[in-house]
Amino acid sequence: MNSKPKGTAANLDPVTLEVIRNALPAITAEMSVDLQRTSYNMMIYEVQDYCTALLDPEGRLISQNIGGVSHFVADLGVVIRAGVARYGTNGFKSGDVLLHNHQATAGQHLNNVVIYVPVLIDATVVAFAVVRAHWVDVGGLSTGFGADQATDPWNEGLQFDNLKIYDADVPDEQLLRFIRDNIRFPDASMGDMRSQLAACRLGERRFLDLIARYGRDVVERTIKTIYAETEARCRLAVEKIPDGTYRAEAYIDGRKGQLGYDIKVEVTVRGSDMVIDLSNCSPQREGPMNGRTFAGAYIAYKALTAPLEPLNEGAFAALKVIIPEGNMMMAKFPALMAAWSGALPTVVDTIWHAFALAIPERIPAAHSGSLGAAFSFSGIDPVSHKRFVAMSIESGGWGGRPGEDGQDVSMSVCQGDVRNSPIETIELKTPVMVLERSLRCDSGGAGKFRGGLGIQTRARSLVAGRWATQNGAGGRLTCLPWGLWGGKPGRAAETLIKGADEAEFHVPAGTGASSAGTEILYRTAGGGGWGDPLEREPDAVLADVMEGYVSPQAARAEYGVVIEGTQVDRPATQRLRSQRKADQKGTQV
Amino acid sequence: MNIPPEKRIHIAVDIGGTFTDLVAFDESSGRLSQSKALTTPAEFSRGVWDCLGKAQLQTKDAASLVHGSTVAINIAIEKTGAKTALVVTAGTKDVYKIGRQNRPDAYNFLFHRPQPLVPRSRTIEANERLLVNGEVSVPLTEQEATRIGNAVKESGAQSVAICFLHSYIDPNHEEMLARTLRSMLGSSVYVTASSEIVREYREYERISTTVMNAYIGPKTSAYIGRIESRLENEGFRGKFLIMQSNGGAMSPNAAKMLPVAMMESGPVGGVLAAAQVGKRLGYANVISFDMGGTTAKTSLIKDSEISIAQGYHIGGYASGHPVAFPVVDIIEIGAGGGSIAWIDEIGALRLGPKSASSSPGPICYGLGGTEPTVTDANVVLGRIGATSFLGGEMPLDAKGAENGMSTRIGARLGMTANEVAQGIVQIAVAKMSLAVRGVSVERGYDPRDFAMLASGGAGPPHALAVARELHIPIVIIPNLPAHFSALGMLMSDIRHDYVRTYYKPLVDSDFGEVRAILTELGVLGSQALADADVPNGARSEIWWMDLRYVGQEFCLQIPVSREDVASGNVEGIRGRFNEVHDRRFGHASLHEPLELVNLRLTSLGARAKITFPAVSASAGDAKVGTRPVILEDAAHPIECPVYRRERLAAGSRLSGPCIIEEYASTTVLFAGDVLTVAPTGELIIEVAQR
Repeated sequence: MNSKPKGTAANLDPVTLEVIRNALPAITAEMSVDLQRTSYNMMIYEVQDYCTALLDPEGRLISQNIGGVSHFVADLGVVIRAGVARYGTNGFKSGDVLLHNHQATAGQHLNNVVIYVPVLIDATVVAFAVVRAHWVDVGGLSTGFGADQATDPWNEGLQFDNLKIYDADVPDEQLLRFIRDNIRFPDASMGDMRSQLAACRLGERRFLDLIARYGRDVVERTIKTIYAETEARCRLAVEKIPDGTYRAEAYIDGRKGQLGYDIKVEVTVRGSDMVIDLSNCSPQREGPMNGRTFAGAYIAYKALTAPLEPLNEGAFAALKVIIPEGNMMMAKFPALMAAWSGALPTVVDTIWHAFALAIPERIPAAHSGSLGAAFSFSGIDPVSHKRFVAMSIESGGWGGRPGEDGQDVSMSVCQGDVRNSPIETIELKTPVMVLERSLRCDSGGAGKFRGGLGIQTRARSLVAGRWATQNGAGGRLTCLPWGLWGGKPGRAAETLIKGADEAEFHVPAGTGASSAGTEILYRTAGGGGWGDPLEREPDAVLADVMEGYVSPQAARAEYGVVIEGTQVDRPATQRLRSQRKADQKGTQV
Repeated sequence: MNIPPEKRIHIAVDIGGTFTDLVAFDESSGRLSQSKALTTPAEFSRGVWDCLGKAQLQTKDAASLVHGSTVAINIAIEKTGAKTALVVTAGTKDVYKIGRQNRPDAYNFLFHRPQPLVPRSRTIEANERLLVNGEVSVPLTEQEATRIGNAVKESGAQSVAICFLHSYIDPNHEEMLARTLRSMLGSSVYVTASSEIVREYREYERISTTVMNAYIGPKTSAYIGRIESRLENEGFRGKFLIMQSNGGAMSPNAAKMLPVAMMESGPVGGVLAAAQVGKRLGYANVISFDMGGTTAKTSLIKDSEISIAQGYHIGGYASGHPVAFPVVDIIEIGAGGGSIAWIDEIGALRLGPKSASSSPGPICYGLGGTEPTVTDANVVLGRIGATSFLGGEMPLDAKGAENGMSTRIGARLGMTANEVAQGIVQIAVAKMSLAVRGVSVERGYDPRDFAMLASGGAGPPHALAVARELHIPIVIIPNLPAHFSALGMLMSDIRHDYVRTYYKPLVDSDFGEVRAILTELGVLGSQALADADVPNGARSEIWWMDLRYVGQEFCLQIPVSREDVASGNVEGIRGRFNEVHDRRFGHASLHEPLELVNLRLTSLGARAKITFPAVSASAGDAKVGTRPVILEDAAHPIECPVYRRERLAAGSRLSGPCIIEEYASTTVLFAGDVLTVAPTGELIIEVAQR
């Protein structure tokens, strides 16, 4: 257990090390707080669809905030390395500000815009302060992540390829004007750009303070030591996983007659080394679920190794991720990327699934498997004539766990401290009325430990506009959130619509353009169950029925528990369960 | 004992997690007294009487008794509250369970969301609905209210929380239902409507706050009732007041209705006292720094005003319950005297958050502790005297502490015991400096404009080092630093905060309406002050607006004057907002439109302030000897003079390096630090800058 980190700096004292170890995450956390609190855009202040980070001149991660959207865990280094390749190591001046979202390197949907500044000492770059954040609009066919109709990347919006928007503190007014004129909500996005820049400047100041206090040499050597220590910590965790190669697979349906995606993972543990091989996942497709990202593998690895520890380059140094060029997660430009992260919840779950064989006592059943239902209604306010967008994310259930039921309605593996929009906020800001936000009965997969429930959210538009009508399943309509060890899958997500003059909800046809009074109903998936539902304590099933989480019908059909009034009919339950067990045996071959 | 013609004894009792502290001040004699007893969780109020007994005080002699207690937060954390029902708008039954759907520990796949205090089966949907503009879409009928009353009765609930959508605009439905429930269910069921406690938008946070109030309500109000009736039996005719999280006190009646306002009152006293002591000594800008056994707490005071945050989480952000209620803005970190230093799985030296607390305590206590702590480090360094701790009542095992440094840590890292001890203190100081930065630099304040006021048993030994790290020029060590929280309660004013969501672009706001709302809130404030017997002349109000740039979500709270409101001074208000935004976040958008989100009003009832008598030095030479102390260089202890604090006369000046010992704490001065004893006994230290 007493393995020393590799490459410990010989004469760094452990005290300075601990002091700087605490100081670095404090910088990126402070950048995050500032960005969030000054942002104009719900995707940043509620969804926390951003990350704040410091990188070293080689593009390695010195520190990154933890909290918001987890799939930002990877893929910042490529942006910095591309910038350094463009301008050269000596091509940065203090006061430069760079803008980047180009898909050939950034590999994400274009809304994720990176702003970064070089941190210089004596005209030498010692670090970069970086903020990647989701802009409401970047031009293209539609606002937000919609771009459903896009047929090529230029339909998806503007591509910024390491542009200097400030050159030594002098803004490029022409360029800024051009951007302003070609996006739909320029005030919001330019406001966010200012907040991103302010957060970068803050990171720059704080990092320079640290260097002023301890000296450049000590800080730089400390950072390298921290990389090594973090790597050592992760190796210790991996050592506890039995050696072997483990495989699992799942799939995502294709949209509108397009080909679907296979998610086939192979993980190999040898001592403290881990390889996550995603080569067998589908090649890049014509649809928009392409990207260039290690995020799926990184999230899964981080959760298995040191989930509560700060993030830096060392956190993934002992992990090898294999994704060949041309894979859906290493798509060659040009490719559509509007739904770049759509597959990641499934990728993470599938990697965990592979580990269920190795460490069954730690791995939960599958969660809802999508980024949630994108609650969205947009239009032009008939009174103020201003454009508006109502937005929220409605998430699904998490899988049952060893010893515990799954958590209800919680953000996906890709979204950490991401919050929904309160009903009152939605109604204060936009002409929408939310009629219901409730737990979806029977959506959690049956199991000894039940899957968490999905949500049911129903809303009515008060003016004409356009509802987002994607089903929120993220392509997981037939590959349901799976159970483990005999647990049953959770129920799939669906989105239904009801026109002002219609009596029943139905599957939406068309684009969601609708008149005032149209109602939308978002239902999200439940998590998978863990263990055989026939082994669930009958009293736990009774409690679920009393609370309305499970219907009496499902109690009988899924769990073999017969409920009379407020009691378990124990003899009837026993009979039903033994009969079920006998049937199960009969069907096993 | 003679009963004085005028009862002029003021008492404060603070029930904390481990100890109950009492401080009393006799105005006629100028005498300050103190006592300490173990906290008695089975019946918290016993601690009050134990402390009174120890201090030989009788409540019939007292003019006032201010009380802070952990009772409310304990009920929440230990989940021993009332069987509670929740009534919400149709369609929102699960909003409380669903919450905001977030998972702050982003990479932890075995996370836990907050556990609701009310099950779904006791959550009742009311057929009623208000629109966002205040219009009634579905009226709440008498029959519906009666149906709900019956459902609550049937559920066997002892307490009910009511929270309807948009009730912050119009509380009619909530009020109507509360009336019906109160008349149907009588006094045996505790009823809280959200509009009675917080009229601010965001339904989940409002529901959670209302449920919390209802959940802790019956037990907390019974607790207050028990103290009241015993006080009455004892012939107490003074003012009984309850300490709140917002730094003010309130009447027992208000506390029974608003127990949620008491939840975080524990650490508040110290901040209040810091503000008062600082003001009296001429320091309006103070950073309070309170370091105890398990944590250090810090808060910023600007222009003698404490900082208030609008909301917090009970049980931590990741899995706790949000409470949308004002609280003194404190950053607390797991670094106290008892924090344990350890070597982690990869061989790195770490400190805390685990604490040896009071049992077994640090190694040097000799009570079975084996892991080296911050206190042990200070003893090894000679900064805390092994023979003079608690006035010599408790000899410390310095050898044991030194051994612990060597065997637990030194041997594995190749460091001497002294180096380890020095390192532990350095790490503690760095951690505390980060926390102090959090309340100052990170909120746009320059620590050089502040004095640091250090309290808690472990505050004075570390204050100079923390101050130096942040370039804070002055450190103040108050009288009774280890009883500072109770002392602060003694100095508290009556305070009530009110909020009303009023959502409009600032330029379109109807300032007549704004004034009407603030006036209405003022009436509520006056009623609460009257209930606490505050005379008219002692009352004041502060008006605030929560503002943001259009499109932002988070607000800044900006004070506005009556004149601003009367004249609709949009430009003046905008200017102040931009200034605060620029200071806080480093940028402002001078021409972006602002929107008004909430109106707030603070009602204050000033209480007479204690005037401390001038100190006269007790007999004897203040310098009691010298001892070797490690300050800067772990290899070279220096022979340091040691002084007894109570023997220092007003006006005395001392230069570091030196040690000043008092009963429950020790102040450590480094070379270049210069101390002056204030006329009222506080130690005022100019911090040497490196």
